[in-house]
Amino acid sequence: MPTRREFVKASTAAALWAVGCRKKTSANRVVKIGYVGPFSGSLAAFTEPDAFVLGRIRRAIAGGLVINGQLHPVEIIGKDSRSDPNRAAEVASELIQRSNVDILVTAHTPETVSPVSDQAEINEVPCVTTDAPWQPYFFGRGGKADEGFDWTYHFFWGADQLVDVYTNMWDTVETNRVVGALWGNDNDGNAFGDPVTGFPPVFAARGFKLVDSGRFQLDINDFSSQIGAFKRANVEILTGVLPPPGFATFWSQAAQQGFRPKVVTIAKALLFPAAVESIGPRGDKLTTEVWWSPHHPFRSTLTGQNAAELCADYMRETAKPWTPPLGFKHALFDVAIDVLKRVKDIDSPESIIEAVRATNTSTVVGQVAWRGKPVRNVCTTPLVGGQWVRGEDGRYSLKIVNNKHAEEIPVETGLQPIDYSGA
Amino acid sequence: MSTAMTKVVQSSRTSRIAGLVAIVLILALLSAAGWADRGTLSLLMEFFCYLALAEMWNLLAGFAGIVSLGQQAFLGLGGYALFFAALRLGWNPLEAFLLAGVAGAIIAVPSALVVFRLHGAYLAIGTWVLAEVLRLIFSEVPSLGAGSGISLPVKFAKSVHLGGMHRDAVLYLAALALALITILASYLLLRSQRGLALTAIRDNELGARSSGVRIFSVKLMVFAATGLGTGFTGALLYLAKLRISPLAAFDVNWTSYMIFMVVIGGVGTLEGPIVGTLVYFILRQYLADLGSWYLIILGVVAVTVMLRLPMGIWGTVARKYDISLFPTRRRVLFDQDKPTTPGVAASSAETTA
Repeated sequence: MPTRREFVKASTAAALWAVGCRKKTSANRVVKIGYVGPFSGSLAAFTEPDAFVLGRIRRAIAGGLVINGQLHPVEIIGKDSRSDPNRAAEVASELIQRSNVDILVTAHTPETVSPVSDQAEINEVPCVTTDAPWQPYFFGRGGKADEGFDWTYHFFWGADQLVDVYTNMWDTVETNRVVGALWGNDNDGNAFGDPVTGFPPVFAARGFKLVDSGRFQLDINDFSSQIGAFKRANVEILTGVLPPPGFATFWSQAAQQGFRPKVVTIAKALLFPAAVESIGPRGDKLTTEVWWSPHHPFRSTLTGQNAAELCADYMRETAKPWTPPLGFKHALFDVAIDVLKRVKDIDSPESIIEAVRATNTSTVVGQVAWRGKPVRNVCTTPLVGGQWVRGEDGRYSLKIVNNKHAEEIPVETGLQPIDYSGA
Repeated sequence: MSTAMTKVVQSSRTSRIAGLVAIVLILALLSAAGWADRGTLSLLMEFFCYLALAEMWNLLAGFAGIVSLGQQAFLGLGGYALFFAALRLGWNPLEAFLLAGVAGAIIAVPSALVVFRLHGAYLAIGTWVLAEVLRLIFSEVPSLGAGSGISLPVKFAKSVHLGGMHRDAVLYLAALALALITILASYLLLRSQRGLALTAIRDNELGARSSGVRIFSVKLMVFAATGLGTGFTGALLYLAKLRISPLAAFDVNWTSYMIFMVVIGGVGTLEGPIVGTLVYFILRQYLADLGSWYLIILGVVAVTVMLRLPMGIWGTVARKYDISLFPTRRRVLFDQDKPTTPGVAASSAETTA
């Protein structure tokens, strides 16, 4: 004699089975991962490692994935955002509505990540993203700390960590503690310069005097007024967030106008070796944050490789220097595959997002798990400070100089002030 | 030849058949809201938005002689007005949408007072400057996200529905309506006396003025009307995109695409932009994954068409076979059933359109 509880259980199971049958047949169907990236346009340098990373991931899942006991082939569909937020939203909606992807992934700057995440949120498609500071990702999309988003999850560092890394670096050098800031009127600049959630309150708390030149339009090519303001205030530490050409312009005008800060710590512009090399000898001793390097002691769940091994393979196969997006792109697919492996019902987006929420996996950029801090949809990754050092042959290498914020990552050398003796 | 025997007509047998076909096609498109899947609906929605934009640019450049490079000003403004009404005024989607169009038309009037002082290439640059000024202004409004841009709350976007119809179907119907109204309004305008005035202005402004055409008011009306329509289209596009930023909304590429579609199809005909928009979407559908090569191909196509078919695809076909689906030209009949060839007509009474 079945009890009432057993009867309810059995009939619910039967009802669910009936519902399952009406939907797209689940047995062995192809599971689709939609990926939006800036393959062309101004952000194309970020996707340089894509061919290598996607090749590895596709090889790792060539035999398909076992999802809840069923073997499913997996397809990754890549779409180009052309570095344009309009196009990013368009291709995201195409992937969702025409290709019917099961999970959406994207990376590289808020201009790519935010429009794609917005499309995922409204269409109720699970979405995992990386490589955009989390404050513009979360607050810039109208996120509220107590509510958060239902369908979109992100892992990266944030402005709060960045300012900690920067001030830790500056504490190790003898200066007058006067900081000049170059924050543009874009996602990053507005987030870093925010008087409440950005850098200014931290500067005040840690005893740095801020000289903020105001939010400028990023396409300007005359920085005389900023340089004048910094010189008048006797700025010895310069910080900011600029695209590479903008910083190159600023830095050559600073030289012409005799502005000689002891420490220069810039986000975004100093990410890629090619960008630093294009500055010439004056790129020596510039500092920046390091989100990832071969020295990061983390391992991928999918391939079992650590950061050093991944970098070594990349440099051997492509003959190009490693860049931080390599690690984050690898981690992004690492997480997506890990999620798919744990999904109970691949035909239910709710079940997929449940698996996203329960993620706790090791990647080459660190452990990824959404534990509600700093907000529900964001998991932070460790960040350290680095300095570009010019070798005898004119080639640059990025040395980790400060790990106070993430001590598991080893320091290579100490921070040195910029040497103007030859200038 | 005796003028007593001639008669000026606009419609033809082709155009009457085309009218019937158009009605059937429109009914089929309306019904798509009920049966097409969401992917198709959002693609069609985008198609009709682009078609409306192309038709409006065509009306400006092809008929009124206002070659604008700054239509993104009204598009971006429409988008921002929608976001402002949704985020700061708490309006519902329909009210926000109406505000967007009105904002486009209202800004068009004072802008016209400034840019109409310029002519030809100077006017083109002037309109572009207008769009850049708006971009810079919206970059300085923190409550609308300043230079970073801002997202539309999911709740607002989800509240778009019409009697149980899904959001995608509603947006599609709105875009379809926008495109049809644009074409119909252009058609009626061009067949009216004002339409005659418009083409007269385009062909020879001084001549038109000396014939008593009130140039400024006719041009202003067209500029404001396209401001209204472009504002509506911008609101619809950004309601679908969910996120707006000054660089994206006031991107000059919006106008480049309008020009591409109109020039490929045939400037100065109502059918041309339809052909051009179809060509653009087919190219995009099949080539967009080629990255930078896709843009290079678009450029090559544009240059080739301009050199080889200066009247555009439709313009060339229409001239060769003397067909016109939306007849806006006035044709002179000397006998009851014998339309003149365009060459003869031009020498007598026709105003080419």
